[in-house]
Amino acid sequence: MIYSFWIFDRHCNCIFEREWTLANSNNTNAMGNGTINSKQNDEVGKLLYGMIFSLNSVTQKLSSSLSENQINNNIRSISTGKFRIHTMQTATGLWFILVTDFKQQNYSQVLQYIYSHIYVKYVVHNLLSPYDFALNPKEQRGQGIKRINNRHFINSLEAFLQPMLT
Amino acid sequence: MPHQRNSSIQNPEALERQRQYELFQESLPKVNALVYQMLLNEIIPLSSHVENQLQTIPMEEFSEDQTESQLKDLSLEEKQVSNPSSSDQLIYKLSQLADEDENEFNNTLKRVRDIGIKLGTRLTNLLVFTNNVNLNFKEMDLLLIMKFICRDVWKQIFGKQIDNLKTNHRGTFYLIDYDYALIQDFCIETNTIPSQLNEEVITSKELKLVEPFLELPVGIIKGVLLSLGYPLEEVICLATFIDKPREKIRNGFPKGISFHVQITKPNQQQ
Repeated sequence: MIYSFWIFDRHCNCIFEREWTLANSNNTNAMGNGTINSKQNDEVGKLLYGMIFSLNSVTQKLSSSLSENQINNNIRSISTGKFRIHTMQTATGLWFILVTDFKQQNYSQVLQYIYSHIYVKYVVHNLLSPYDFALNPKEQRGQGIKRINNRHFINSLEAFLQPMLT
Repeated sequence: MPHQRNSSIQNPEALERQRQYELFQESLPKVNALVYQMLLNEIIPLSSHVENQLQTIPMEEFSEDQTESQLKDLSLEEKQVSNPSSSDQLIYKLSQLADEDENEFNNTLKRVRDIGIKLGTRLTNLLVFTNNVNLNFKEMDLLLIMKFICRDVWKQIFGKQIDNLKTNHRGTFYLIDYDYALIQDFCIETNTIPSQLNEEVITSKELKLVEPFLELPVGIIKGVLLSLGYPLEEVICLATFIDKPREKIRNGFPKGISFHVQITKPNQQQ
């Protein structure tokens, strides 16, 4: 079961959010239940990113004091009583985050696939998408409002994650 | 172009030449298709930017009517801190221009087309004509030239052939490419979730955004015809969107492209 999926860019902005559990209040969403890029999840997104960001800086600090042998000590998942958060950070500073139940241990390949086959194809290689979702410096420190609203991206993400939802 | 007899493929001499040609093709440096496509696509926002700058330079004082919107976008304050002209913004601006300032819009399209023409003449000379034993331009009529564009030129530049060629045998041709390579991953970014919006509105906006990108292949077709002796003013070439056949509709761009080519004085060549 997947509860939600998030993408954050290197300016700490949430640039995409998909939530499958919340009731769908105002829109007629062709994709079934849940919300996409909804305002009501703004706060959750900020908290989620804040937690991952600070945990990650802790692990970075720990690893730098451990040894010269620099293996990447980014966090991969966080478990709580009810769910598990899987994360992947790209070298370009993007965070791909998946919130799931305990059924499956490892979602890193799923995240990698979303990045390489969906995000790169429909956002990076699409010249009609911005290369940077923060349009000006005011939007750079987590204040950005621009989201990925591109139907090819949404449709293929939906098609890819659909079998894992239940 | 070396002289060549028809149907001489069995001939050992011709076979040798064919082999040489293949070796030559292999020896050419290889370029990453993605990078090449991105560069080709950047021509459009670049042309738009150049045209935009040209419009503003000669004016000492900004006149109100034309540049008020530009002033807003290019005000000094903002220019120093951010980049107001990233490619995607330029493309969206360009499609607005179609309604607001037809002159500048058409100049931009012409600029793109001219680049296509230069690319067309040079690339075909460099990559396609050189050492290609399968081509004999002496006996080529217009139909063969069109076939040459569909097969060899398109393959060299876009990595695939034209899907369909139609003609009325009187100098009018339709070259149909159902998945024109450079725009396959293009998709409009909207302000809210696309499923909340009217699909037709989105599609028509998207087509409008993509339209300038079609001037590049138009220019390339004209450039190839120019290098084969059809002057630019005798060739009409227009690109339009057409529906894809059902089996081709998948994730790519929703429309195919039809290039309408017309030679106004077809008999002068013979």
